[in-house]
Amino acid sequence: MIVPEGILCTKSHEYVIHEGDICTIGITDYAVEQLGDIVFVELPEVGTSFEKGEPFGAIESVKAASEVYMPMTGEIVEINEPLLLKPEIINNDTYSEGWLIKVKASSLDKDLADALEYEDYKSEVE
Amino acid sequence: MTKNTALIDEHKALGAKLIPFAGWMMPLQYRGIIQEHNAVRKYAGLFDVSHMGEFFVSGKDAAKFLSYIVPQNIQKLEENKVIYCQLTNEDAGIIDDLLIYKIADEQFLLVVNASRVSIDYSWIISNKKDFDVQIEDKSDEYSLIALQGPNASAIMDKIGFKKENQPEFMHFTTTSLYGIEIFVSRTGYTGEDGFELLVKNEEAAKIWKNFLIDGEEFKIEPVGLGARDTLRLEAALPLHGHELNEQTTPIEAGLKWSVPKDKEADYIGKKKISNQIQNGVNKKLVGFEIIERGIARSGDKIVENDKLIGMVTSGTMSPTGKVPFGMAYINNTSLKINDTFKIDIRGKLHLAKIVKRPFVDKAYVK
Repeated sequence: MIVPEGILCTKSHEYVIHEGDICTIGITDYAVEQLGDIVFVELPEVGTSFEKGEPFGAIESVKAASEVYMPMTGEIVEINEPLLLKPEIINNDTYSEGWLIKVKASSLDKDLADALEYEDYKSEVE
Repeated sequence: MTKNTALIDEHKALGAKLIPFAGWMMPLQYRGIIQEHNAVRKYAGLFDVSHMGEFFVSGKDAAKFLSYIVPQNIQKLEENKVIYCQLTNEDAGIIDDLLIYKIADEQFLLVVNASRVSIDYSWIISNKKDFDVQIEDKSDEYSLIALQGPNASAIMDKIGFKKENQPEFMHFTTTSLYGIEIFVSRTGYTGEDGFELLVKNEEAAKIWKNFLIDGEEFKIEPVGLGARDTLRLEAALPLHGHELNEQTTPIEAGLKWSVPKDKEADYIGKKKISNQIQNGVNKKLVGFEIIERGIARSGDKIVENDKLIGMVTSGTMSPTGKVPFGMAYINNTSLKINDTFKIDIRGKLHLAKIVKRPFVDKAYVK
């Protein structure tokens, strides 16, 4: 994996970039590599709230569909709309142009502490 | 233990992503499913399909016996011709679909699906009865390589197998390529023109490597099982375990064209098939495209007016048409092309429309 500095990863291969109480969420390059050509993205509506661990959308390759899960409880404040028409952006640049959603986290401290544990897991799959 | 084909080192050298499939380690993809798919539609692709099974059936009653286990009339099959058929059970359920090659009057080759080799073999042996036939499973001795795409014929021509000598669609011949004797048929599983080459395992790597070199100017690419699946689905070619199974008859599966109406000889499943030809069926296979954003997958439910009417058998995003599409069985047999139904994808209903199959025009050279 080539996860850039400052990015946390979940065991289900979502990444979290955290700026203030807004978190940007996407899928790791490991997940992208496993999926292959991404051809479809399903994202939630802005304003929807999800619990930590709930599926908020799906990413589909030619072969299969994979759900993506909330790393923290919070409200969707923005979605990456260009992905709906050009899902292959994720294949090209998942950590920058290929982000999925921005979330206003409701209990960030605790959830981020959990996310930090994922750092250990990251080394396991490397 | 998963088995390796004779080309495993070639796949590794090409950087393939390998997956276990039907007991074999097989290449899922090399450079990417979409790129490989498009290469086959536009230029040429080379596939290792050595996991497929090969049975040789010979003996005085070979044609008669084969005519007893499949709906097609093998006694009428001409030498050097290949015919598509199904092994049917007593209820006309499809045990497998296969190609039968007539090598000589008393000698036939059966090419069957990898996942069904042992089931097929047991079934065939158990129905041998008093027929004077010998059945040999030589699946582990032979490799099968498919060359598919509009440039396939030109590549063959370049390496000395001249166009005028190439067999027509659904025919085969023997020839020598790179000094190796091979069986070559004008067949495939992509909807494109192309060939399938049967060679002894020890010769497979030489054929494979040389094709990739000689095919370079024709933009050949190695193609994995991922693109094989999207290509066959666009061509609406059924896959056992998806469109075909032991509870589905050839008539229900839309394969009536491969069931002769005038065959007098009895065969296993004939009663049910004759009945369905006469009285119709309770379920049918349809092709669909999804109108409301979403990709349907095998097992997704089909709903019409709040009633469950069927199930998706295969579905993906079409790399050629860039539209989500697939095939499904529905039990409302009155539905026609352009009629709509809904598909339950992860709990949400998505509008879909019945479209004609195949989803792409076939480019067979007949």
